[in-house]
Amino acid sequence: MSADSSIGGKGGELSGLLDLRMPADSQAIANVTDTISATLIQLGIPEEKRLEIALAVQEALANAVVHGCKSDPSKEIRFRLQRDSQGRIVITVTDPGPGFSLATLPDPKQPEKLYANHGRGVYLIRQLMDEVHFEHGGTQVTMWKY
Amino acid sequence: MDISVRKRAEVQLIQLRGQLRLGPAVDELRLVIEEALGSGDIRIAINLAEVPMIDSSGIGLLVRFLASTKQRGGNIKLVRPSKFAIQTLRLVGVLNLFEIFDDDDAAVESFA
Repeated sequence: MSADSSIGGKGGELSGLLDLRMPADSQAIANVTDTISATLIQLGIPEEKRLEIALAVQEALANAVVHGCKSDPSKEIRFRLQRDSQGRIVITVTDPGPGFSLATLPDPKQPEKLYANHGRGVYLIRQLMDEVHFEHGGTQVTMWKY
Repeated sequence: MDISVRKRAEVQLIQLRGQLRLGPAVDELRLVIEEALGSGDIRIAINLAEVPMIDSSGIGLLVRFLASTKQRGGNIKLVRPSKFAIQTLRLVGVLNLFEIFDDDDAAVESFA
């Protein structure tokens, strides 16, 4: 994992807080989410909001590792934590995978899906964050916490 | 994640400490539960008091083993899940699948 705090924001509107790269290894996710949590504490983000952001990040990174990179640790995932001019948290996770279509994702709350052991990650991200955009065919997710 | 297991009145009491998330934590808990089921222990109580966060892989693990224990006449019950864990389980619609208790004793007694 490498870190670079000098990233510039999109159109100059975002200030970079973290720019990390991690191998597509599920064991590497905890390090990133813990780093993010520590940064959010330094920013004075309240605990409830911090937990929601951390879980959304956890899910986005897990999707990138498992689905985007098929858990191939030779592949790399990029994570960016930024803040916009209104103080909102902006997070971007990018993977080199083939992407996916939101239309193919089932609703995990359907009765026949309740006991499934997978399929809740994207749903959770959308519930936990205030705004979520899947871009570049699903290989990049950008999410906002107001 | 720290995991400790003890048996009380034919109930496997599993105490977790740390985040229950994809990676070693979920892998280790899966092994612990598989070992219990392999030994015929289908009554399981999991204490979540010191688990601040459960991710979707942790939820998937819990509901999958909840289904398999129930199919065999057992159950997985939860003890003192944190406020955020409850919120997360509710968000994905599985909170009501679980019986939840305030302490280990109540969970163990509920199996009697």
